[in-house]
Amino acid sequence: MGIFDYFSSSAESKRAEEVRKGAVAPDRSERKRCWEARDKFYGCLDKHNVIDSLNGDGKKTAERECAAENKQFEQDCAAAWVTYFKKFRVADYQKKKTFERLEKEGANKM
Amino acid sequence: MSLSFAPATTSKMLRSIVPKCQQQAAAAARQCTSSRRFLSTATAQTQSSCRPTTTSPRCLRSSPASTYNNNATQQQQQRRYKHKTVEEAKSRYRTGPFSWKAGALFVLTGGGLVWYFEFEKQRMQRKRVAEATKGVGRPKVGGEFELTDQNGKPFGSADLKGRYSLVYFGFTHCPDICPEELDKMAQMFDLVEAERPGTLVPVFVTCDPQRDDPATLKTYLSEFHPSFVGLTGTYEQIKDVCKAYRVYFSTPRDAKPGVDYLVDHSIYFYLMDPEGDFVEALGRQHSPRRRPSLLLWTVVDV
Repeated sequence: MGIFDYFSSSAESKRAEEVRKGAVAPDRSERKRCWEARDKFYGCLDKHNVIDSLNGDGKKTAERECAAENKQFEQDCAAAWVTYFKKFRVADYQKKKTFERLEKEGANKM
Repeated sequence: MSLSFAPATTSKMLRSIVPKCQQQAAAAARQCTSSRRFLSTATAQTQSSCRPTTTSPRCLRSSPASTYNNNATQQQQQRRYKHKTVEEAKSRYRTGPFSWKAGALFVLTGGGLVWYFEFEKQRMQRKRVAEATKGVGRPKVGGEFELTDQNGKPFGSADLKGRYSLVYFGFTHCPDICPEELDKMAQMFDLVEAERPGTLVPVFVTCDPQRDDPATLKTYLSEFHPSFVGLTGTYEQIKDVCKAYRVYFSTPRDAKPGVDYLVDHSIYFYLMDPEGDFVEALGRQHSPRRRPSLLLWTVVDV
């Protein structure tokens, strides 16, 4: 309430907007907030067995089931980070799969 | 025969009369003056009172002289050995040149030498490991550079000479890995700093010079450690440094302002020695526990 609050909240939202656009680098607390939102989004995807939330069926399921988490994720993180984390999830999954496959084939761990 | 027999019987009779001390005296006299006639001596002795044996017979005349001689030798010995009593001299002789002081000194010196030897041995071993990395076939990483630090002042490779440096490449918009790694870098730096203050310089070089100006770097790095040196420059300068350190990075050359992008880059800590030569690349394959010890091994043995 009041003019002071209005200014401070607008400054906050301006900063958040800048972070989202990637104009400024997020600081420690902003990173933390982003990672928390990301983990919540990941948690939702895990619940619905979605790995790739950018393509195909995964995208549809994510849009249907995890819309709220996704919104928060996009709110708290820079746009580039959102894409990065979504891609990273796929890459990380594939990496794990590859390691599992190699281990089954009897590869030695270096 | 009869002559020799007679004195023997008289002497027996006499022995029963005279007191014991005189008997002893007589015996002494008999021993030394065998040529004398026995009876006369015996009577003379019975007449005289019981005197100390040392003074009476002539044969013992030499005794004072011998005492004198003993005194002389004693004085000589005193001069030679400087011992107050014979006992002292004897005890000194028995123990030899060893005393508890000498023993303690021996043990201390021996222990000290053993400790020093072991210490040097370990140090040489570590040095050999470091030299092996440095020696033939050493990767040619690092080199001269001239950049700007987070305070806007010029900072070059010459400023790193004389101290070890831990160089990390990154960018402030880095989503997850760089911040984590920079936190670890701060921990490692604190560890080394606690052990050997002032031997290590933590350096952060940005791969994204377009967005990371000195002011941005300053705010960003102050969140991790106040001692971090943040370096930036022109795109060309950064490209040269990255090339020298064999760092891959994917910053677009002419990114338009307002367009967000991420930079893909190598995530190694480069440990450089005081001459600016490469020592070790610490990557994510080294566990955070192992990394500080690797660092300490090299840095602490200065």
